Order: sequence, then C-alpha cells, then structure tokens
Amino acid sequence: MNERKVTILAVCTALLVPAPRALAAQLVSTLQAGSYTVSDGVLPESMLRLAPDFHFDLPHASITARGSAFVSEQQVQVADGIVSGTFTSPTVYGVRAEMIGNASRAVDDRSLGTDQVDVQTRIHVLFHQRGGMWFGGGVARPWRVAVVSSADIAAAGIWTTLAGATVTATFTNFSFTKTAAGDTVAAASVSCAAPSDGACERQSHFGDLEGVLHWEGGPLELDAQTGYRFGNAYDVTPDSRRWSSATATIWLNDRIAVVGGGGRQPALPLRGLPARSFGMAGLELAYSPSSRSAVPVSFPRTVLVKSFELHAAPQGMEKIVIRVGGVETVDVMGDFSDWSPLTLVRRGRDLWELSMPLSPGMHQITVRTDGGPWMAPPGMPTMHDSYGGDVGLLVIDNRSNQ
Amino acid sequence: MTPFRRFRRTAAALVGGGALVALPAFGATAQDPDPLSRLDANSRFAIELIIDSANTAGLPTRPLMSKVLEGFSHKADGRRITAVVRTEFGYLKTAHATLGGVSEEELAAAAAVLEAGAKPSQLAAFRVRQKGRSDLEAFTDWADLLTRGVPRDDASSAITKLWQDGADDATFHNLWRSVQTDILQGLNPGTALQNRVRETPGGPATRKVTPPEGQQENQSSR
Repeated sequence: MNERKVTILAVCTALLVPAPRALAAQLVSTLQAGSYTVSDGVLPESMLRLAPDFHFDLPHASITARGSAFVSEQQVQVADGIVSGTFTSPTVYGVRAEMIGNASRAVDDRSLGTDQVDVQTRIHVLFHQRGGMWFGGGVARPWRVAVVSSADIAAAGIWTTLAGATVTATFTNFSFTKTAAGDTVAAASVSCAAPSDGACERQSHFGDLEGVLHWEGGPLELDAQTGYRFGNAYDVTPDSRRWSSATATIWLNDRIAVVGGGGRQPALPLRGLPARSFGMAGLELAYSPSSRSAVPVSFPRTVLVKSFELHAAPQGMEKIVIRVGGVETVDVMGDFSDWSPLTLVRRGRDLWELSMPLSPGMHQITVRTDGGPWMAPPGMPTMHDSYGGDVGLLVIDNRSNQ
Repeated sequence: MTPFRRFRRTAAALVGGGALVALPAFGATAQDPDPLSRLDANSRFAIELIIDSANTAGLPTRPLMSKVLEGFSHKADGRRITAVVRTEFGYLKTAHATLGGVSEEELAAAAAVLEAGAKPSQLAAFRVRQKGRSDLEAFTDWADLLTRGVPRDDASSAITKLWQDGADDATFHNLWRSVQTDILQGLNPGTALQNRVRETPGGPATRKVTPPEGQQENQSSR
C-alpha cells in the first residue's frame, strides 16, 4: 500500500475517534473512503475516493462544503469541490422560497482546472404530507471550459412519498453559448453564429430529465437515480445520454456505515467533469452525518419523536436534545418562547439540539417535525392545552438552573 | 441577446427572488411589541379588563398573556382566546385563594392541575409546606395523571398522601413514569395508579391489584 493510501486511511481512522460534540459547534462532516473503479477510458482503475462534507446549519440557512478526490497510485487524478449556501423562507400557506448559491472548482490532471459560480432561486409548493413541487431558475458562470457565456438554468420538479419512499422527478434545462472548433463544426454540420480563427460560437442547450428514489428503513438507506439527457448530438455526448445508479448504505452505528453501489453518472459540461461509470464498496465515517433526503425543502408530515431530554448547559442555559430521524427540521414552542417556534440544530443523523435560557417553574412545551402538527414531546408529563392540543410539562427547578 | 444582457436579466430576476425569500423571514423574526393589538377591539378590551383584575388581585399576568400568545399560535379567534384567558384567570384566582401566597410558578402549576380536572379543595393540602420545598413536580405529575384518565379522587389522594409523607421530586416522577408505562401497556389508569402507589416508599404495602379479564384496555381519555 503506498504512502498516499496510508495517509487517507489514517485520516479515516482518526475520524472514528471524533472530538466531543461540544467542540464541533454546528459543523457536520462526512468522510467517505473505499475502493472505487472508475472507467471513462482514461482514469486508471482501483482508486480511493475521498469525499469530505461539511455542513453549517442555521434555522433558515445552511452552508455546505463538499468535495471528492479520486486518488490513484501516485497522485490525485480528479478532484472537485463545491461550496454552497442555501437560504429558505418560512413556509406560508404551503409555499416556501429557496435561494441557492454555489461556487465550485474541478481539477483534472489531464487539463486545467475549471471554476463555476451559480445562483438559483426556487419556489416550492408543498402538499400536506403527500408531496410537493417546485420551479425556479438561475444563472451559472463557468470559467476555463468550452463555454463562453453564462448559462441559463431553468428547473422544475415534483415529488411524492410512496410506501415510505420519496420519489422525485426533475427536469433541468441548460442553455449557453459554446465554443466549437472548426473541424467539429464541419463534422456536426452545426450553424456558426460568430466564426473566427477556425472556431465558432453557437447556442447550445440540453435538458436533463431525472428520477430519484430515496428510502430509509432502520439502519438501511437506499438511493437510486436514473435520467435521460435531451439535446442534439453536438451538445450531448453518447456516454451522457442515459444514466442510472444506485447506492445502499447500512449504518452500523451513528458514525460508521457500509456503502456500496454502482452505475453511471453523466458529464457535467459546465463544470468540466466527464461522464463516469463507477462501482464502489466502501466505508463511510461520519462525525455527524446529515440526512440525505431526496427532497430539498421540508414538508409537513407527522414523525414520532424518539426521545426528548433536557440537560444543563453552560452559562445557566438549558439544552434540549431530541432524537428523531428522517426529518429536515425540528421545532419546539412553548410559553418560554412566547409560543413562537424555535428551530433546533441538527447535530447528528437523528440528533437535534437547542440551548436556551429556561426560567425556574413549570413550562408547557410542544414539538413538531418538518412543519407538521405540534405534539407533546415523549417521556414527560402531558396535559391537554386550552386550544384542543396536547402539551408536555417541563419542570425547571432552581437547582437545575444554577 | 448578448451574454452580458442575459446575465443582467437573470441577475435582476434573482435579486427579486432573493427579496421574496428574505422578506418573510424578516417578518417572521420581528417581535410584536403589543401582542394584544392582533386581537379585535372587543376581545382586546375584555382581555385588558381581565389583566387589570389580575393585577388588582395580586395575581401574575404572565400566564394570562401566555394564553393569548398560545391562542395566536393555534390561530384561534378573539372570542376563543378571551374565553381561555377568562378561564385561566379563574383557575389562578382559585389556586391563589386555596394556596395563599405562593410563587408565580407554583400558582401557574396549580392552575394547570385545576385545568386538568382537580377540585379546588384537593389543593388545600399543599397550602402547608416546609420551607424551600417545591410542589412543581407533584402538580405536574398530578395534571398528567388526570389527563391520562386516572379518577380525580384517586389521583388527588395518592399525590396528597405522598406530599404529606414528604416525598421528593424523584419519588413523584418515578410514580408518574411507572403509571404512564402501565397505562400505555393497556392497564386501567386507576388500577395502574393503585398498584404503583403501593410500591412507592411511604405508600401502603398491600397485595397488587390485578384487573379483571377484559379490562386491560387503556381507558385513558386521551
């Protein structure tokens, strides 16, 4: 085993002994490592794939940084990284807005690195407990690829839940100005809008129709996707016309999972990433793995909260700790918040926390997941409230508040 | 259309979208300096009168305002909120008359017990207490037992007996946890309490009561 692989394995092993949760603030990190086989005709086989993933979550915003690097015997072959910021509005009458910004860089040892910045806005319409749809658009600006203009992106999607699985269908259209060499133009018989020096610029566009399936049951997660790319032969290479892939993840505990899967991923022309076929079996080591829901924005549904705990926190604060899996948001509300929702921060796959001051006395508290109905938390005394619901009764005595 | 113009057009659309995203969020986080302003005039007048009455009687007004805000969170109308606040005022007044000068927190907890179904006279045993002893846990567990369908007199006598025997918070909490576990497993709420209170330190040590056949269903009112 060469030195680079040993280094990667050492990093992975180090993550098995993570720092105390308190030191991680709101960071979530995921690290994947495994033995991968990638074949696009150039890359060698049997490589390691390193995929760090960091999240910083706020109630209505999140920042994500993730990347992946395929490492061969000697060096990094392909690496790409992306930093994303997402801002979501509160849900009003089932409508929610989302704004996404991405900045990414891809490095391929066969060519120069490429960069891209893109911004998208989406409007989501949520159908209570059943599904939803969204539509939106944006603009992407790539550099150092054979695209000379910003690219317009228009997208729409619809999702629903079937037998515990979330099924999503999306259509995304890309249109941009592309540079083509003279011989390519002649071979493809395409029109040339601005010919110069043996090359020309022409309008290109293609559309991706994709279906995604996500299912979670106990420690098992299944993800599958399939897609078709519309466009003429000039804009869509044969290896990116159709694709499908599937991944299975089995969580051994909160931090370690076995991952296996395979399939084909299409090329991403705006990011300069080639189409890839892959088959992989690996280990996912996660400090605090985030949910991999196929639905990008939360929807109202009823999920049972597994546990509710209250711990003393520094500076006279109390920390609410809730365990519930498979959700995007968890809120609490009570007399202590003037009956306004407070959103908890995800600390793990099914772990949510919120620190706040709680005065001594009896407090009424309710909890909800994904904007669903308010419920009394489990494991505490309960009573009917004055408005037809149930509330939990939380006792804070003077000793616990000191 | 040139790339630059297309970029400008798209950027303008995104700025508009961003504003659409941001405005509701700012609105959601803004604090309302006068929550009562969200009520209709009649309801506001009625609730202000109740709050004035509470002040005059030396009762805390925070529980009353909390009921108003809770009503907003449930999207209740003004009349409903007014009725709830008036009822809560009644509970606070009764609890104050029964318990005497106790803290605001204890008064609110006692009001919750009354709201759950206890009789005012059943609170009387809590008027006398050792210095520094809190009845919050006892009241909380009591309210839960009543909500789960334990007969009012059974719940009252069990909680009162433990209180008079000097039971601490952990004893009350353990009793509640055991009873609610039994109820969730299908035992009759009254029977569950009787069984568990005998096992509790200070309770009478007699034979465990077994419900007759066909009585295993949870008869909780929940």
